[in-house]
Amino acid sequence: MNLIDRYVAEVGKHLPLLKGREDIEKELKSTLEDMLEDRTQNTGRTRDEAMEIDLLKEYGSPQKVAQTYNPHPYLIGPKMFPFYLFVLKIVLTVVVSVMLVLAGVQAVTDTPFMGADFVKIIGQGLGSALSAAIAAFGNVTLVFVILERVLSDKEIGGFDDEKDWDPASLATEPDPDSVSRSELIFEIVFTFVALAILNVYPQWLGMFFFTGDEQVFIPMFTEKFFQFVPWINVVLIVEILLDIYLLRNAIWNRLTRLGKVVIEAASLTLTVLVVRTPGVIGFSAESFTNGPFQPEQAQVFVTIATYMFPVVMAIVIIIQSIELVKAVYRLFKMSGKTA
Amino acid sequence: MVNNESLENVVLELRRGVIVLAALSQLGNEEYGYSLLKKLADLGLEVDQGTLYPLLRRLEAQGLLESVWKLEESRPRRYYVVSAEGKKLLPKLKKEWAGIVSVMDKMLA
Repeated sequence: MNLIDRYVAEVGKHLPLLKGREDIEKELKSTLEDMLEDRTQNTGRTRDEAMEIDLLKEYGSPQKVAQTYNPHPYLIGPKMFPFYLFVLKIVLTVVVSVMLVLAGVQAVTDTPFMGADFVKIIGQGLGSALSAAIAAFGNVTLVFVILERVLSDKEIGGFDDEKDWDPASLATEPDPDSVSRSELIFEIVFTFVALAILNVYPQWLGMFFFTGDEQVFIPMFTEKFFQFVPWINVVLIVEILLDIYLLRNAIWNRLTRLGKVVIEAASLTLTVLVVRTPGVIGFSAESFTNGPFQPEQAQVFVTIATYMFPVVMAIVIIIQSIELVKAVYRLFKMSGKTA
Repeated sequence: MVNNESLENVVLELRRGVIVLAALSQLGNEEYGYSLLKKLADLGLEVDQGTLYPLLRRLEAQGLLESVWKLEESRPRRYYVVSAEGKKLLPKLKKEWAGIVSVMDKMLA
């Protein structure tokens, strides 16, 4: 195998997997032979390895030559890239949200609120969320890389919504009435997880302790709290339905703004009712003493829980009040504008 | 002051735009890649091999060129020629080119 043959074979190794690969190699060899013949005639020199080396240096590295035949120099081409980013944002939001919620639930239910185990579970949760995000990123990217290579140019062109874009859409989607899709997806996922925990996995809302072979569960809430669950369900389901409707319509109108005000007001009312109902918290000195704790330790946990509950609920009420005020303000602003 | 690299890049872009028309116009009769390269150079258009060969394959894939392998001087050569579809397209491209030249002449006068 002479130098030219080795060069052609090396170019072949780097050629993309396309039809006519052998043709390209054959044509390249033929061209190089023609060029060498030209040089011998023009210079009067006889063909030797030095002449071949000079020619190949001028022609370029095998990788560079092979690259010129690559019809897809991109991992994901510019036509498909915006859609890839859109899908990636949704998948990453959902995956990371779910992993963080699971980690949060595990941290609250499997361990006391403080201590090394709590920190360890939070750390593991963050690690899992990061791993899941990296895996999701890799998988989504891989799918799009494959699509880029197996779909025809016409099919890839279908991902480019430039043709369907209408300047009139600018007028129908004025800020601040356009919806944020990522926020809605985030809200739907969290609301759905909350619904699932309240109705399917209420046993997660508490603390687990292992004393020898025996498992002790201390529920976070009493039966009194679960009397509110049907009402909480109604609010959460209506919120999911509103979010799905907004996701499809991509814009707020007066009806959806009003719906949002009603949902926020109902959420706030429910929270206040829960807080004002005595005995909704399941953590008590008795329940902790039945667990693997000494009476002194149990008292510490009960004190923490007793103080934490009002603080957490106060924060929730403040946030819900702000959301309600924002919803009412946006409704009035919209009414004023269209009146 | 415009540096040489910027000038070269702009000239390269200008040339790249005309290579398709140049190649189609010179392939009324069969030519193999290297002979077309030399023909274009003799007429004053220097084209890089790395640009011309992939372009010929692309034009063939688009149905504007046809190719056939022939054995000459104990060496196989791939000959290209404008296809029937390419022949239909060429006058339209020439007209477009004449329009561009006319507009640019006016602009640059």
